[in-house]
Amino acid sequence: MKNIIFLTCTFLVLTTSFVLNGKTPESSDQCFICHEQLGGVADQFKKDVHFQKGISCAGCHGGDSKSDDMEKAMSKSVGFLGIPKGDDISLRCANCHAKKEMMQKYGSHLPTNQLELLKASVHGKLSTNGKEKIVQCITCHNAHGIVSVKNPASPVYPLNVPNTCGKCHSNAKFMQTYNPSLAVDQVAKYRTSVHGMLNAKGDPKPAECASCHGSHGIRATKDTKSQVYALNIPETCSKCHSDALYMSGYKIPTDQYAKFAKSVHGKALLEKHDASAPACNSCHGNHGATPPGVESISKVCGTCHALNADLFSSSPHKQAFDKEKLPECETCHNNHEIMPATKAMLGVDKDAVCSKCHTETKSTKGYLVAKQMRSYIDSLETSEELALKLINDAEQKGMEISETKFKLRDAHQAKLEARTMVHSFSEQKFKDVVVGKGLSVTSASIVEAKEAVDNYFFRRYGLLVSVLIISLLSFALYLYIKQIEKKQAESRS
Amino acid sequence: MKKIFKNAYDYLDERLHLEDLVHFMGKKYVPVHSHSIWYYFGGVSLFFFVVQVVTGILLLFYYKAGPDLAFESIQYIMSKVQFGWLIRSIHGWAANLFILAAVIHMFSVYFEKAYRKPRELTWVTGMLMLFLGMGFGFSGYLLPWNELAFFATKVGSDIAGAVPIIGEPIKILMRGGPDVTGATLSRLFGFHVALFPGIFTVVLGIHLLLIQRQGISEPMHFEHLPPKEKKTMPFFPNFILRDLLLWLMMLNLLAILAVFFPAELGHKADAFGSAPAGIKPEWYFLFMFQSLKYFPAHVLFIEGEVLGILLFGAAFALWLIVPFWDRKTARGEQNKLITYIGIFVIMFIIVLTILGWVA
Repeated sequence: MKNIIFLTCTFLVLTTSFVLNGKTPESSDQCFICHEQLGGVADQFKKDVHFQKGISCAGCHGGDSKSDDMEKAMSKSVGFLGIPKGDDISLRCANCHAKKEMMQKYGSHLPTNQLELLKASVHGKLSTNGKEKIVQCITCHNAHGIVSVKNPASPVYPLNVPNTCGKCHSNAKFMQTYNPSLAVDQVAKYRTSVHGMLNAKGDPKPAECASCHGSHGIRATKDTKSQVYALNIPETCSKCHSDALYMSGYKIPTDQYAKFAKSVHGKALLEKHDASAPACNSCHGNHGATPPGVESISKVCGTCHALNADLFSSSPHKQAFDKEKLPECETCHNNHEIMPATKAMLGVDKDAVCSKCHTETKSTKGYLVAKQMRSYIDSLETSEELALKLINDAEQKGMEISETKFKLRDAHQAKLEARTMVHSFSEQKFKDVVVGKGLSVTSASIVEAKEAVDNYFFRRYGLLVSVLIISLLSFALYLYIKQIEKKQAESRS
Repeated sequence: MKKIFKNAYDYLDERLHLEDLVHFMGKKYVPVHSHSIWYYFGGVSLFFFVVQVVTGILLLFYYKAGPDLAFESIQYIMSKVQFGWLIRSIHGWAANLFILAAVIHMFSVYFEKAYRKPRELTWVTGMLMLFLGMGFGFSGYLLPWNELAFFATKVGSDIAGAVPIIGEPIKILMRGGPDVTGATLSRLFGFHVALFPGIFTVVLGIHLLLIQRQGISEPMHFEHLPPKEKKTMPFFPNFILRDLLLWLMMLNLLAILAVFFPAELGHKADAFGSAPAGIKPEWYFLFMFQSLKYFPAHVLFIEGEVLGILLFGAAFALWLIVPFWDRKTARGEQNKLITYIGIFVIMFIIVLTILGWVA
């Protein structure tokens, strides 16, 4: 019995002590006590993560939260700051969120560089009224009802991010005030994308705005440090799409990045740093990202390769591919692993893509055309090589042949043109380019280079003859001088 | 054939009294001694000058001065015009050989002290022709309007511009403006084909007239020899024919050089392009160019480069008037100091040229 009384007393003392000195400021925070009676923000603040960690209103607004005298509590002498405005809002947040020791005090392991990132971001640099930056912490996180990012009630919870960003970015009137040329249909497009549709279904894993653009450190797409700058896009997408574990529920391959990096597009973008080369979004779209369907592939590729697409559309292959439901460009060129289009793709060899469908016994006409086209391009290459060899030979012999060398560029141009013309799959059109434009140039260059080399030897032989004539003349003159001097010596003696 | 020549000669003699000229030349004698070989370099220089005039006129038929046409016209000459490559290559090689022959001629006259009274003016006119020859080289270098020529002219005119007071006006005069542009090309073309040849022809005429009037200089030791021991040869026909023989040999040399080492063209000048690496002037300017590199940035209150240019200017001026300050030689005495200075100058030029070449 004695023990029961002792335990009961101990429980009452501890409970009282907790109520009086506990972390929840409700009991001792005079600000909260008054404002709770007024309703509004205090109700929101009750759900706030800060409130739950024991941070009082004075944490952001200053003043003495322990004083029940309103005038004393909200006096400037005790550090009352009132409602923070403009850039002061973010600074007030950073008062704790930029200090590691302060964050640790409340048991938080959040990063402490948010304000730094925000300042460097496009939101932290731009201002519409010249007084304050466009975005403050509360713009996305709210003010009095801030909850953890992992909490579905948070405006920055993955499922809520598109609407949070859309508050401004889908508001044409607001966006006009600082960037009238920026589109305002991102959220609408996003909702049509695979990412957006899954997000709308309540799957927090697919990419939302912050997954690609970042959260605090969002930069303009033209900024080389932006996660969505052309050169950085493949890596940004690959963060999820190359993670087999993360993607395991979606039943799509995770080797796109590895294949793209090996492709002609990937090398141009990632190795040569050519920002005009296509990245993932060039074919899949960005906000409305979705895999292009069989029918739309040639349109997607055709946005850059317009001539090829046009020629293909009017070629006999168009109907055949449609009939077989073959993806147009992809059938021969692959999708992510697009290799440079060499002549090896053309013809009827084992490695040639034509031989996938055309053989000596099946689709014979196409087989013969492919074989002939390959022989034209082979002839042009052989002829160009010979012309170059002869030009180099003539140059090494010191002959002036720059005009021919310049002219030979047209053969290279014809080769490039042939790469496009091959999409017509017309032997005559292909011949007109390769033979008419290419071989005619190489043949003329070969003739001129040979003439230059011949001229070189003509010069040598000409020199030999002239040196001989001049030497003979010199010798004759020498003999004449000797004869005169002999006569003079005889006449003197 | 002999009869035709005789009739032609008689026809001209009847009208021009050629016999008097032949008689005059026949009476002229050239001293024969161990250093007689040097007498021929004056004639060799003259030969190269004649070659320059002939090939220069032929090039003028096709050359078009102007930044849009100059390079292309030279390209045309080198690739399309029959023997155009040969004419241009001979023009280029003869220019270099002219300077070389003239420098050898000048030093032979210097070491023989042939500039002494009464041949002071012959020396001065000869030196003027050497300077004009360098002017020909500098002005002709830009005419192909290629990368190397463009930047070499820029550097060369910049150096001239560094001379205090008169440098900037000289640079503007050379360039036809503050920068090397099409105006510079037009100007240097004018200098190369009209102004310099005109002056050169007058000075050359005076030089040859003085030689004919005063005869070939004898070495100093000849003056003390008795007339019987003075070995000579008639200027005509002996010396003239030997000169002609040497000219034929030089023609052979020119043909060989032009065929084996034809003139190059390079890339067209681009004012916005960067200067080609290791840009150097023509070999006869190289010793001066290299020397200027060794001057410190400042010597007392004067810039090193300016000091170098002034020193070279003073040295050339002293060299030009050597007959007037070498009084000892004028008195008929041996002046070894002059010989030592000459040896030093030759060594200096050779060493600095080599250093400039390998740098």
